[in-house]
Amino acid sequence: MDQNINDQAKMPLSCSMSRRKFLNCLAAAGVLTALPGGLLKPMTASADLNFEDGYQIFRNACPRNCYDTCSIKTYVRDGVIKYIEGAPESSFTHGGLCVKGYAYTRRPYSPDRVKYPMIQDKRGSGNWRRISWDEALDIIARKFIEINEKDGSMLGLALTKYSGNFGITNYAVEGMMTSLGYTSRLVGTPCWPAGIDAQNYDLGDMWCNDPEDMVNANYIILWGANPAWNSVHTMKYIYAAQERGAKVVCIDPVFTQTAAKADLYWEVETSMDGALALGMARHILDKGLYDRDWVMQNSIGFNDFARYLRNEITVEWAAEKSGIPALQIARVAEEFATAKPATIWIGYGMQRHVNGGASVRSIDALVAMTGNVGKVGGGARYGHLYTWGFNYHALLQPRPEGSVGFLGAEGPLGDFDFSGDKVDEYSDRPMNMNKTAEEILTVDDPPVRVLWVSCKNPLSQDFDRNKMVEAFKKPELIVSVEQFFTETVELSDIVLPVTTLFEEWTVNASYWHYWLSINEQAIKPMFEARSNTEIAAALSRKMNELKPGSCTYPTEIDTKEWMIKEFNQGIYDLFQIQSWEDLRDGPVKAKMHPASWQDLEFGTPSGKYEFKSDLCAEHGHQALPEFKEGRKPYDKLRLLTPHTKFGIHSQFVNLDWMEEYNPKPFCYLNPIAARERGIKDGDMVRVFNKIGEVRLEVKLTDVVPPDVVMMYTAWFRNLDYNCQNLVDDTSSDMGAYKTGAPGVAIHGQFADVARV
Amino acid sequence: MNKQLGFFIDAKRCIGCFTCAMACKNLYHQELGVIWRYVYDLKTEVYPHRERAFYSLACNHCENPTCSNVCPVKAYYKRAKDGIVVHEQDKCIGCGNCIRSCPYGAPRHNPVLRKAEKCSFCWERIDSGLKPACVLSCPVDALELIDLSTYENPNVVQYPQGFPRYTKLNPSVRFRVAETPTIIRRKRL
Repeated sequence: MDQNINDQAKMPLSCSMSRRKFLNCLAAAGVLTALPGGLLKPMTASADLNFEDGYQIFRNACPRNCYDTCSIKTYVRDGVIKYIEGAPESSFTHGGLCVKGYAYTRRPYSPDRVKYPMIQDKRGSGNWRRISWDEALDIIARKFIEINEKDGSMLGLALTKYSGNFGITNYAVEGMMTSLGYTSRLVGTPCWPAGIDAQNYDLGDMWCNDPEDMVNANYIILWGANPAWNSVHTMKYIYAAQERGAKVVCIDPVFTQTAAKADLYWEVETSMDGALALGMARHILDKGLYDRDWVMQNSIGFNDFARYLRNEITVEWAAEKSGIPALQIARVAEEFATAKPATIWIGYGMQRHVNGGASVRSIDALVAMTGNVGKVGGGARYGHLYTWGFNYHALLQPRPEGSVGFLGAEGPLGDFDFSGDKVDEYSDRPMNMNKTAEEILTVDDPPVRVLWVSCKNPLSQDFDRNKMVEAFKKPELIVSVEQFFTETVELSDIVLPVTTLFEEWTVNASYWHYWLSINEQAIKPMFEARSNTEIAAALSRKMNELKPGSCTYPTEIDTKEWMIKEFNQGIYDLFQIQSWEDLRDGPVKAKMHPASWQDLEFGTPSGKYEFKSDLCAEHGHQALPEFKEGRKPYDKLRLLTPHTKFGIHSQFVNLDWMEEYNPKPFCYLNPIAARERGIKDGDMVRVFNKIGEVRLEVKLTDVVPPDVVMMYTAWFRNLDYNCQNLVDDTSSDMGAYKTGAPGVAIHGQFADVARV
Repeated sequence: MNKQLGFFIDAKRCIGCFTCAMACKNLYHQELGVIWRYVYDLKTEVYPHRERAFYSLACNHCENPTCSNVCPVKAYYKRAKDGIVVHEQDKCIGCGNCIRSCPYGAPRHNPVLRKAEKCSFCWERIDSGLKPACVLSCPVDALELIDLSTYENPNVVQYPQGFPRYTKLNPSVRFRVAETPTIIRRKRL
């Protein structure tokens, strides 16, 4: 392994280096008038099909918030997508996609797409009228100028954007905001922030081994991760390890599809993962099975941690807390400690708790004390951003002359904030994304006058929906940039039609695997859809027409050129390509060592693995990965709202192709809990708690324990189901350090069920 | 035995993700409601945990296909070279005999054309040297193309529990059954 490449790989976002510095050192449509459904004619099996000639082939990449970030080959004929496949060049994607990915063939042609800019007479009325792009931008630009004159700043304009589209060029949205002045930003992430902070305290960054290297593990613990549904392409590596004789243990409150494929499944008490990990650590310590040499050479604070374990933790206590018998804990701890290399995949679900960060630190400690950090086939796998070293030039816009902003904010604006460390007098005003409703309702001086929503569907994804509905009454103008008429669009004034992945140029990296994919424009944008980049340029044109100098964003943009500008020598060196053009031949893998931290130079203040982190203590947590209690129940059953295999949050579930296999939502209840409530299989039930309620059909099953009710996150286009009716916005313990706001205790929720 | 292509359905590996079903739809754009391949979850009598084990099924391209036997207009034929059962929709008069007769429910009614249709085994792709869309798509290699004239695997069964047994038809499918892990339930306090 070339040492430089490894250094190159370590550059992105490691905390020893400012992000601004990192950026600097790397920096050396036509409208179709046909009916959308009509373009996708059914093919009969006897039609003159051939699979060789007559297609134009394009390279695309799935831009969804998903581990797999699949590389796609798109087959186009007569300007219409006929079918897609997974790129065979990527050993990770391996020629296939997933149930969601293959539904993309339908997506651009979906009859219920947002086709034109539209304006709603009254929020929520459903009285939409088509308007021209020029009219829409005129209304928006005049409003921007008006609030700037009223408040003396642009802080009344708030942006909420998250992971709806990870194509790198979509940072045009943040860039557009910057180019207007200092605005308000909903910062943080509902997804994985507690774990990011935890890994930063322990290791100095979040950096996982190559998932393809899981084949080298002799022992795999899948801890709160459900790859069978959420990372289908990683399953083949887990199977390969299993076939080699590796043992696969799945720890989850639910008997997931992944659990069904494991050798051993532990039905852990929800949020007691930390107790379980500490119990295992205590047993490993007692048996002397920890890696003394590794710990001595590469870590600090181990003796303090050992003392804590001896004084405070016993295997019996861990058994009581987690519900897993002490003998089991002891056995698996011994197996894990002796099966080198052994690895743990830390899922995102298990850190969505008031003690989530603490739990992740306990699991990190388990991997480190057994000497499995920095090893092929080892690692505490969570995620990484080491292949994301693009230029983000769309983001780095100057503010207009004389802009006034917010005083006293510092820190990152999110998990994917690559904007660099600002040293301006002013900053944008941060608002906690995980308390979006509360923030919109309470922020003042100035209040949120205009809300801009892009790559996000707050009404389906954010918390305490009833409060969110109230919050959406407050702003004077709400603009949504969307492909579909989501619940958020329903409560907006203006909707702007945005492109799908096939209709724009961009580039995509993964936070899990090491591949990089180009995303070519395969078809002309349908109807009047425009990419976020084009929207920003058009808005800038309009702003400068009405008030010259009010927006610094370029007014003429070629989206392909803008995609090319994202590349730099650092990316070329890391992937060993000459030019972005090489990606047109297929995805390319980063030339990084498959084991993260293999040089054992950690990004922590001490440069070593920190069992004891002073930084963590400075930030108001425990210095050691000590046990932290979960949230106290506020209702009879625990409510779990994990991901469905048929969607990514509110995406895909609404497509008619997906409705074939997933026509309606269900909640899942154990027969014991059902008997107590007089509920039978297939009954319509009410799931309710202090926040709100949901009515849906129940399925009785032992995949959930008797004290749990489960339903999936989803948005069905013709049903009013929404699991966020039941989830409040209680914060998780960590997240503020690296993502600007604490996470949210999505699984620290409770509810009861009754027959309707 | 003549060459007979078939599907190997590995329920031990299958994660019920429906990728195969959607890959088929992505290629053929069937009318809504017309499904060639579906992923059936096994009843708890067959696999003890609900919706955790599956059989991905389409047309079984039987050795002795009922659809073909009952078709009054010879819209079905079985390819001599590989045993694929082909339905020629141009000839189909939509009488519904095949739809009513196939015990595996493979032929479906196309409400727009008012004709039958079913899984073609992607024979055009086979003839181009490519795998069927569903087989290519499977992320865990749980669905494979096999030639029954040469296929030998002691771990497979033709009629696993939950799959209807029609020996006269001799469906060209083989299965490996799903397994359960060791399960440690929480101690309830």
